[in-house]
Amino acid sequence: MTEPQVPRFAGWRAIFRGHALPTAGLVGMGLFLALALLAPAIAPQNPYDQMQLNIMDGLLPPMTQTMDGRIAYLGTDSLGRDILSAVLYGLRISLLVAVVAVAAGITAGVLLGLVSALRGGWIDALVMRAVDLTVSFPGVLLAIMLLAIFGTGVDKVIVALAIGIWAQTARVVRAVALTEMQRDYIAAARLGGISEWRIMLHFLLPNSITPVLVLLPMAISGAIVAEATLSFLGVGVPITQPSLGLLIANGNEYLLSGKWWISMIPGLVLVAMVLCVNVVADRMRDHANPFLRAKD
Amino acid sequence: MTPLLQIDDLTIAYRLADGSGFQAIRDYSLTMAPGEIVGIVGQSGAGKSTIGKAVLGLMGENATIEAGRIRLSGHDITRARDVEAIRGRKVGYIYQNPMTALNPVLTIGEQLLESIVTHTGRRGAAARAYAVELLEQAEVPQAAERLSKYPHQLSGGLCQRIVFAIAICARPALLIADEPTTALDVTVQKAVLATLERMARKEGIGILLITHDMGVVAQMCDRVQVLRRGELVEEGATRQLLLHPAAAYTRQLMAAIPPMDRRLDRFDVIERQADSPGRERGIAYLRTARDGFAPSGSALLSVRGLSKTYPAPPRSGQDAFVALKDVSFDVRAGEVLGIVGESGSGKSTIGRCILGLQQPDAGAAITFRGRSLQPGRRDRAALARSLQCIFQDPYSSLNPRMSAAVNMTYALVAHGLVAARDARRLAGDLLEVVQLPRDAAGKMPHAFSGGERQRIGIARALAFRPELIFCDEPTSALDVTVQAEVLNLMKDLREMLGLTLVFVSHDLAVVRQMCDRVLVMSKGEIVEAGAADEVLLRPRHAYTRDLLASMPRMAET
Amino acid sequence: MASFIIRRIGQSAVLLFIMSLLVFVGMYMVSDPVAVLAGDDFTAADREALARSLGLDRPLPLQYLAFLGNVLTGDFGQSYVYNRPVLDLIFERLPATLEMVCLAMVLGVAIGIPLGIWSGLNRRHPATRAVSFATTVGYSIPNFWQALLLILVFSVWLRWLPASGRGDTVPLLGAGWSFLTIDGLRHMLLPAANLAVAIVCMQTRLTRSGTEEVMFQDYMMFARSKGIPRWRLVNRHLLRNILIPIVTITGLELGALIAFSTVTETVFSWPGIGKLLLDSIYRSDRPVVVAYMILITVMFVAINLVVDILYALLDPRIRYS
Repeated sequence: MTEPQVPRFAGWRAIFRGHALPTAGLVGMGLFLALALLAPAIAPQNPYDQMQLNIMDGLLPPMTQTMDGRIAYLGTDSLGRDILSAVLYGLRISLLVAVVAVAAGITAGVLLGLVSALRGGWIDALVMRAVDLTVSFPGVLLAIMLLAIFGTGVDKVIVALAIGIWAQTARVVRAVALTEMQRDYIAAARLGGISEWRIMLHFLLPNSITPVLVLLPMAISGAIVAEATLSFLGVGVPITQPSLGLLIANGNEYLLSGKWWISMIPGLVLVAMVLCVNVVADRMRDHANPFLRAKD
Repeated sequence: MTPLLQIDDLTIAYRLADGSGFQAIRDYSLTMAPGEIVGIVGQSGAGKSTIGKAVLGLMGENATIEAGRIRLSGHDITRARDVEAIRGRKVGYIYQNPMTALNPVLTIGEQLLESIVTHTGRRGAAARAYAVELLEQAEVPQAAERLSKYPHQLSGGLCQRIVFAIAICARPALLIADEPTTALDVTVQKAVLATLERMARKEGIGILLITHDMGVVAQMCDRVQVLRRGELVEEGATRQLLLHPAAAYTRQLMAAIPPMDRRLDRFDVIERQADSPGRERGIAYLRTARDGFAPSGSALLSVRGLSKTYPAPPRSGQDAFVALKDVSFDVRAGEVLGIVGESGSGKSTIGRCILGLQQPDAGAAITFRGRSLQPGRRDRAALARSLQCIFQDPYSSLNPRMSAAVNMTYALVAHGLVAARDARRLAGDLLEVVQLPRDAAGKMPHAFSGGERQRIGIARALAFRPELIFCDEPTSALDVTVQAEVLNLMKDLREMLGLTLVFVSHDLAVVRQMCDRVLVMSKGEIVEAGAADEVLLRPRHAYTRDLLASMPRMAET
Repeated sequence: MASFIIRRIGQSAVLLFIMSLLVFVGMYMVSDPVAVLAGDDFTAADREALARSLGLDRPLPLQYLAFLGNVLTGDFGQSYVYNRPVLDLIFERLPATLEMVCLAMVLGVAIGIPLGIWSGLNRRHPATRAVSFATTVGYSIPNFWQALLLILVFSVWLRWLPASGRGDTVPLLGAGWSFLTIDGLRHMLLPAANLAVAIVCMQTRLTRSGTEEVMFQDYMMFARSKGIPRWRLVNRHLLRNILIPIVTITGLELGALIAFSTVTETVFSWPGIGKLLLDSIYRSDRPVVVAYMILITVMFVAINLVVDILYALLDPRIRYS
């Protein structure tokens, strides 16, 4: 009998050593996070302070000088708002929404998946039917429908995205937990009279969490894209808190007249950020896939 | 005469995921005459499967032949390009696990016919007729009907016979059989091996038989090689080598095999450790419970009318599966009771029902020291002190996210039986009792070998100071030398601590070595019960006789 | 099998019922059609009359029952904005969505599956790494922004293809279709390509990982040991096994495509049901939104059912009974 291939989280070094692209992705993720956190400190202007905007600076292409002598490195929009500043602030909103939604969705999913596996019976049936109901709709459509019902807003977008995430997580965790429960260490714990609650937290949770960790970056990039899509469609974040998706939508009308930078630049930033997360996600998934590891 | 297979100074290296290299086979040589059956025996990690795969060029992408030559009937087949032409045509391959060797979504007929069409040029009705003929040769009953079946509809033994038919369809000169019966039940094993041997002898096909089982070697092979960590230890005619092994390693291997004809006090294998203060302390801790144990010989556990039925899946049209049918027996204090049977006989279910891991059917009465053991009762903590279990699979019996020490003492600390600050010391003491170094306490399970994990599992069960321990196939996943060590340990512990054991196993020889009394199970029922010597040497029931007859035996050579 | 299908249809009916309840109550709670429809000069009495004419003055359960009764007879009510039966509106726009989605699906499957199998079989080939990176990039570009990019490049800069609308249509089976005219196809190409990129990436990745997984199975090793030709190894042993997940996922992707078509249709002003949904959300056209949600639920339930049945037909190990 050979040791079963249990995916174990081997640590960052083992996953990323010798893989240049994913390492670059990891660095990029850190960079975007830093930019988002430091936006108020490094942005040339506060793009939502009307006092700082000058309508005379409107629609400047990148690298032009503004009225007050600064250089608008990435150009300005129709209101004379500096695109670089708008992008830095937009990054904050995009990341905030994605991270909070993923954290909320995954926490709920893990707990419900574990409880469902451990208790079985009607709790399991109820949770799984709710999962079926949720996952039978693609995430973006589900979110559009929810937002159509509840209206828009940062908090509502977060809830709508989290609803798409919890169900996937719960399904994965439940499946893993059910196989783990067949393993003898759970039987040994039961024989030792350990309470169900402790079995769930100390035995089942740490052994069922790996697939969730592996899927985490993918969930985050998915949430970033979903939020951008919703905001682009006008059912996401409000105009007072524009994310990258909303900035792209605002520039949309100028695209056909050749003023590409207003929507292309936030778009490029969005793509770069998602790409960084996805190369990391790919690497983590490949690493966790036992079929791709060197095999005897 | 040109040898059928000649391997000269073969060295094979694997490149590991961390970039380092590892030589699985070093300077290995073999010469095999046409029609000869040669066994390669070795324990896990010996590299024996690698040799078989190397002959067929089927090693993984990360393996390379660093040195040496492989020749088949004089033709060099060392390079992958040359080996492709002989696969299936000159060399047939029999895979370890028949249930996974056949493609699950193609019919048996399709998988057999594609080989026939490729290698023999027969087509249509002629190919079909030949397929049926091959299946009949492989002793598959109702051969013609099987062609339209899928692998999951057939038993493991039948699947392996179909694999045989595929392997010999081109009348190859050589078959490579990699653990051909390890995945099968004992009673099936012997018949399947006999078929393989008959087919090969009749056609003059040579077999390279790769196995860990000396009994299989004794039954089939003309010659045998012993492999250890990628190196050839010794080789010779089967009888000569088994009866008079020259190398120390072979002797050790032979000494570890539990004999059927006599009961050993201990296995003659190298033991690890001398006494130490920690070990003394651990034994003293375990002994303190002994005074409260039931007097030796009194009925400790009594089981009456135990049945277990698994209901059929709703609306599936299948029948409910009866795993246990009205089973009654007693366990007396101080004895070792063996429960033997094949897979599916219900032997493990008994333990799970008694331990409360499964709910028996209504009407069962299980009492421990006269108190009823109703499932789902609240005083599990108290019960845990009396009843424990040692599990079969060492890789699943420890929580992979907890250190050895926490694995052993978690429940004790949770119930307040041991203070958290004393737990680590107790864990170290118990590790020394099971003959592991005490500083192993801090390591995580993946750092241990299978045998070491099993010792930790034993220590965890002992930590409760139980009166009765269920041992559910505790050594069936282990190599034979490791099995001997673990069995020695269990014999010692039983003597020192006055334990009562219920020892569940499919291996009659192991049961013979360990048990005072035996129950023989078949299809959920006890077919025979009695003193171990009586049942195993003078069986009365036909099934027990069958079981004994199907054991591969060294004595036959 | 029959009893399985009946049971699944029963489950689906329950799911549809729950969905209709959720949608109805949700919409009731948050949007007030009277506020949308009423002009600025409406008096309180006018508003009340309007509410009564819409049946909004009755208690909620009664409104729901009336709604359910109507839905079961195929009546989803009148659009507030267009003043026409909702079902007519939706069926009028459905062909546009269907033809675009189908074209995208065909493109996606035709490119993605062969590419996935090839890269799965040639894991160490440099082109495989390039394909793998390309799919990651394709996967990372949000669909709506990619649509903008396509418009910018092919319509604004190169002026090859039109950026919006459906072009000429030909009536067939009572609806207009674009795929039968050159002009229609020119209009359809960009939106369909936009959807197809996502499908190609997804199909390539799934097929590749499926191929890699199957190639490592014991039965593939045994099949190789049999010395059968390589084409047979790929066409029968490999393909039959990866077909199972591919069919499942392609089916489910069809649903995802319809969802993403909402985005694509909006950017390209493609008059399908996705654009109708968003327009109706902006204008609080409640009956249209409700009908869309219920119909899309029906569609997804039907797709899931068909996928499950196909799954059983393809995998001999599964027998629903």
